[in-house]
Amino acid sequence: MAIGGVVVLDGSVVPDREEIGNKAHSLATMHRLGMPVPPAFVLTTSVGKRCAGGLPDDVWADVLAALAHLEAATGRRFGEELLVSVRSGAAQSMPGMMDTILNLGITDAVEATLAAASGDAAFARDTHRRFRESYARLVGQDAPADPHEQLRAAICTVFASWGSPRAVAYRNHHRMSHDGGTAVTVQAMVYGNLDDRSGTGVLFTRDPQSGDTTPMGEFLPRGQGEDVVSGEVDPLDLADLAQRLPEVHAALLDAGRALERHARDVQDIEFTVERGRLYLLQTRVAKRSARAALKLAVDFVGEGVLTPAEALARIRPDHVATVLRPVLDPEARATATVLARGEPACPGIGSGRAVADPDEAAFAGEDEDVVLVRHATSPEDVHGMIAARAVCTEVGGRTSHAAVVSRELGCPAVVGCGEGMLAAVEGRTVTVDGTAGEILDGIVPVRTPEPSEVPALARLVAWAKEHPDAVAADHPLVAL
Amino acid sequence: MSSDMEIDEFTALHGLVLKKAGQAGEVAEVLGATEAEVAPALDAAVAEKRAMSGRGKYMVTPAGRAWLDEQYPVLFADLRADPGADAAYAGFEEVNRELLALMTRWQTVNVGGEAVPNDHSDAEYDAAVLDQLAKLDSDADPVLEVLAGLVPRLGVHRRRLAEALARASAGETDYVSGVRVASYHTVWFELHEDLLRLLGRTREP
Repeated sequence: MAIGGVVVLDGSVVPDREEIGNKAHSLATMHRLGMPVPPAFVLTTSVGKRCAGGLPDDVWADVLAALAHLEAATGRRFGEELLVSVRSGAAQSMPGMMDTILNLGITDAVEATLAAASGDAAFARDTHRRFRESYARLVGQDAPADPHEQLRAAICTVFASWGSPRAVAYRNHHRMSHDGGTAVTVQAMVYGNLDDRSGTGVLFTRDPQSGDTTPMGEFLPRGQGEDVVSGEVDPLDLADLAQRLPEVHAALLDAGRALERHARDVQDIEFTVERGRLYLLQTRVAKRSARAALKLAVDFVGEGVLTPAEALARIRPDHVATVLRPVLDPEARATATVLARGEPACPGIGSGRAVADPDEAAFAGEDEDVVLVRHATSPEDVHGMIAARAVCTEVGGRTSHAAVVSRELGCPAVVGCGEGMLAAVEGRTVTVDGTAGEILDGIVPVRTPEPSEVPALARLVAWAKEHPDAVAADHPLVAL
Repeated sequence: MSSDMEIDEFTALHGLVLKKAGQAGEVAEVLGATEAEVAPALDAAVAEKRAMSGRGKYMVTPAGRAWLDEQYPVLFADLRADPGADAAYAGFEEVNRELLALMTRWQTVNVGGEAVPNDHSDAEYDAAVLDQLAKLDSDADPVLEVLAGLVPRLGVHRRRLAEALARASAGETDYVSGVRVASYHTVWFELHEDLLRLLGRTREP
């Protein structure tokens, strides 16, 4: 429903992405499909163009009318119990836009209400503090005591961020028009930490790593917002959710299936359960491994969701290159001696003489295969890493400088092998398995998988022959 | 153009170890000086057999390295005794951990618990990481300001980081973690090494 230039997302309309931005478009689509989504309204990009110098009074009047709908839908009053998030949304994401403000509308009185509702005074206090901090950082002023003033200034700041130097520079570089503008989405907050029948989680409608049809997900009882994403607490799996909250579990999987059918692709869904009631916060196409990309494309054709030509369009050259990457010969690997183990930091296999001096690695690497082995790496080692077939360190994890540089170079790397690795391998000829995180003695032969051994690949290759128009002539599927 | 910096042999050699094998212009860039200021000092180091040169590039010799290692504790005795430097370095380490985690998020994405290379097909994901990088840069700035107050030359890294951030967020994505350009990670890595050498510390695992 539209109130002037403000669109209430109630399922009656799904405006264009250009008008309401990507995220709101996804919310509108979920509403349209009858999904439980926290009530929201959007100030369109068209309205945004009139708001460069502040929110005109007629637009503000529309916002207040839309806010009344949010209050009616939630049964909560803004400034008493209803808190909202305010986020930017353009048709295409870009850096430099204002970050989302959460829990807008909170005041001392609301904090007290929230403390009573959640039974967690520390949470309410923390929510209030984080709101004040993020508001001051993003809006550039202390949050006013009046929730309506908070809202009006936050909306103005989102519109203004379209013209931030970083956003402008990004559009210039990508030759994007400066006319598009951003929308502003205002959405009711829901809470996953109110009681034992509350929580937050993510659902993948299929396994994004293997491509298996079984949905997978995580659920964190009494969790809120970023808790699951941050990975600081161990969440439960879907089977646990089914046991704790069977109706929620069933509704979630139903919603996942419907969203997947609608998008014709695997969905990555964020959800929150508030007092036993499911809310979907966001859905998007799930990222996937190369192996999964192949399997999913073939499965979706088998299920009648995609045509072979559509399935082929989803396979990128690097998917094929990844699944055909050489692996250690299984028989040779079984008899090889493991000299050291560490954290896999960059996948792939490299063999050569283990050299501890980066200068020597850089020099010798021109004529022979060398593996650079270091206690840790410094900027001076980069030229040695460039020349090496693989890199190993004694200390540092997968976020060390060495790991960052090796991934940039596509150089197989095993890091954090522990003190004594250098002494054990220096001077020997070794094979480094950056996928498994192992240093093996000697040159362990590798073999490239046959296309027929890779599930789903043979089918795609056959389709590529049948549908030459659906793939680029230089696509690896054509050459196989 | 002159940067009005006195580039002595020590400073030039120090810049050279940060850059490894490099041309005078590259060493000048890491020091915030000009090539004309750096080249004579590097040539003097070559005459002292503390550096070698060939095909326009310089490299520190083992003797030069040993000489440098003797100089640090003498030249930076006051800095090493300064509790303010300790505190600033602790602040740097804190941002450093965040920076490395952020670089890892830029390079890899989590797919069902497995880290797979970021193919940069998701503009929303990339924009979020770039926004986090901008925030990290503003978190790092006060720390770098303190360090530049103690050793003015270190101020050059703030300018280099700002330049890398501007280019990266405008869309030159190689300037996030690229190895062959003065990316945010390259500059940060060199800044880290600079600090470790001045303060006589070793890299934390």
